[in-house]
Amino acid sequence: MNLAIVIVIFAALALAIILSVAVSRSLQTSRRNAALTAAIRPIDIEAFRNLIDPAEDSYLRRRLPPAQFRVVRRERLRAMAAYVHVAGSNAVVLIRVGEAALASGDEKVAGAARQLVNDALLLRRNTTVALARIYLALAWPNSGFAAARVVERYEHLSGAAMLLGRLQNPVVPVRLSALN
Amino acid sequence: MLQAHSLLWHYLWVAPNVLLLLLAALIWRRKISEQYPVFLFFAVVSAIEQLTVYVTDLLPSVSPEPWYYIFGGGLLVEALIKFAVIGEIFGVLLGMYPSLAKLGRALISMAGAALLSVATAVAAFTPENNTHWIVSHVHIFEQSIYMIECGLILFLFGFAAYFKLRWSRPAFGIILGLGISACVHLATWALMATPHFPEVYSVRLVFLNMATYHVCVLIWFYFLLVPPKKISRAGGSPLPEHRLEVWNEELERLLHK
Repeated sequence: MNLAIVIVIFAALALAIILSVAVSRSLQTSRRNAALTAAIRPIDIEAFRNLIDPAEDSYLRRRLPPAQFRVVRRERLRAMAAYVHVAGSNAVVLIRVGEAALASGDEKVAGAARQLVNDALLLRRNTTVALARIYLALAWPNSGFAAARVVERYEHLSGAAMLLGRLQNPVVPVRLSALN
Repeated sequence: MLQAHSLLWHYLWVAPNVLLLLLAALIWRRKISEQYPVFLFFAVVSAIEQLTVYVTDLLPSVSPEPWYYIFGGGLLVEALIKFAVIGEIFGVLLGMYPSLAKLGRALISMAGAALLSVATAVAAFTPENNTHWIVSHVHIFEQSIYMIECGLILFLFGFAAYFKLRWSRPAFGIILGLGISACVHLATWALMATPHFPEVYSVRLVFLNMATYHVCVLIWFYFLLVPPKKISRAGGSPLPEHRLEVWNEELERLLHK
């Protein structure tokens, strides 16, 4: 009977999730692009680059005792996670902007919007992978694997973040990079 | 009223399946089935299978044991087609987003394998609830199928929500109906598969299942046949085309560096 109760609870939760998705979809209203782009948060790209610089990590590893290095490295990883999280949120906004533009009657705009959505989805996917790597690195701050791969991913993301800033309205530019 | 072979019982068993056949005919006529051929197949086969099981239930010449074999066989066929429908809907969803296709396929394969393992383990730990092995095995089989179905549909909703993917109206309707049906059936079959579960409650749960399925068929009617309301996209200033192209080129370069 205990097993049956667990299954019933799982089924009830699943049903609640499915129904809430259905309700939220029906209540969804198209937000204005301006409101959407206002949700984009700029990223201080120079600070981010400094954070992901492998030379900085090597320097800290050489200069600090192992225990202190782990503490500092964890702090830096947490800061990286915050940046990547923002980049991921910006990707979500761009997906929505692209989706809104998909409804355009203009075939060219719709095509470009489709491309934008796909690119933003790639960014979203990459930020997810990067965040997973960061959290792994947080558990093992000494692992070189995490450092190298995370930095590589972050370089991609930092570039993508700068480009997201360039994407915005030419009249009222919304920048993802605070210094770009 | 809530008794086997009551008028309501006959209605709830027959009406959704007749409606499903009607829906199949309508989506075929309106050419909606071109995009959802597996769903059309499901609608036809599932309705015929259910009506066959219904007729054999009424026939005095069919004793309970052969009836359970027919029921179990139909269940297996229906389950396989439902999984194919879920695959079709996932394909339609990913078809609009090629950049996620590879990741999506890999994830749903993993989710499917994990759910199969969990369902098998749960089935192994579920005690038999009937002296006739066929009855208890059919109950456990039904519970396992709905567990996998429910998990896959939840995965689909989660995946779409995480990446903010846009559902097409028919695809959303199909998966919503299947999802509601799977959740309710999973809960009820889990209870009915329990040993010493009171018969009077079992009958009520069968009514709940049939009523839920009826509602799901109506959901499919609504999402597949009723045209969507026109939503004004006010304020959707078109994206600057030339900037998009530059951005996309650069982003592609960076992502594939």
